[in-house]
Amino acid sequence: MNPTNLHAWYVLTAIALVAGITWALRALPFLAARWLRDQPVLARATNYVPTAILVTLLVHAMANTDNTSQALPLLHESLSVAAVALLQAWLHQPLLSMGAGTVLYVLLRAA
Amino acid sequence: MPNPHPATPWATRRHALELSVPVALGYVPLGAVFGFVFVQAGADWWMPVLASLLVYAGAAQFMMVPLLASGASLGTLAVAALAINFRHVFYGLTLLQRQPKSRMARAYQSFSLTDETYAIVSTLPPTTSPHQLLAVGALNHLWWNLGTALGVTAGITLHINVAGLDFALTALFTVLLVEQLRRHRRYNMLLLGAAVYAAARWLWPAHALLAGMSLTLLIAMVWSHATHKAQP
Repeated sequence: MNPTNLHAWYVLTAIALVAGITWALRALPFLAARWLRDQPVLARATNYVPTAILVTLLVHAMANTDNTSQALPLLHESLSVAAVALLQAWLHQPLLSMGAGTVLYVLLRAA
Repeated sequence: MPNPHPATPWATRRHALELSVPVALGYVPLGAVFGFVFVQAGADWWMPVLASLLVYAGAAQFMMVPLLASGASLGTLAVAALAINFRHVFYGLTLLQRQPKSRMARAYQSFSLTDETYAIVSTLPPTTSPHQLLAVGALNHLWWNLGTALGVTAGITLHINVAGLDFALTALFTVLLVEQLRRHRRYNMLLLGAAVYAAARWLWPAHALLAGMSLTLLIAMVWSHATHKAQP
């Protein structure tokens, strides 16, 4: 259990915030279709932005674990992420890739 | 069999149900993983339930778990949500001619426009009734919440304490990244995101995520604009 951070109001505010932003993005074309069609820069950005941001989230998640028992920093994380990426690129089964990668990571840490 | 009469409500529902079955196969287990992981991170039962009801966006919800558990600022959460769900801005454009009449129904249609709902709805013929589009969105929302409820129940009942189970979230980011790369092939964005995050972590260790993400967002926008100008 995490004793410190998941306070009710903090989580409630965060859920409302993320829900509001998500809905606003989804509703925007219904409110401002013509304006959006005139903004090709936004359309092109969708090919780039999510990739870059997902890398940020991934690296942040890899760098912030409670795993201190390895010879090299990020060794277990890198091996497991590589396994997930290879499985996903090969078989395109998200649940299989995630499940196998998580099992590998748990085993690496237990070894 | 061609049906000259307007679809009856039952026929509409059945067709929508058939359309949403493949989504259910993905949403129920993935929603369950979300509920389970969030509860294991220390959340009360209502937190994942409320998130799945109100946010209803897979990647954004998964992103919230480690950020909330580490006490990230609301600014960090806002930038992350904006960047991750950015693509949704364009989904509605294909549905402008197919909106239900009532204001409430229109609001819900935009709310329920996830990747998977959009993928299904965009393949349907233009003559499809707005009610059927709405029904697909609502059924998918139902699958997602059913999965979340199952995951929360499992997370509360089973007190598994295995070091490293939260790697499921890292694995999800990896899967989403591989899919993004397969679709758009912007491999230079890999380098950009990693390099900017490393620099941000070195310069502002306490705010590495927010700083890294904001800078990456900015550079990626400028980059996509400049690249297009160079090769029209």
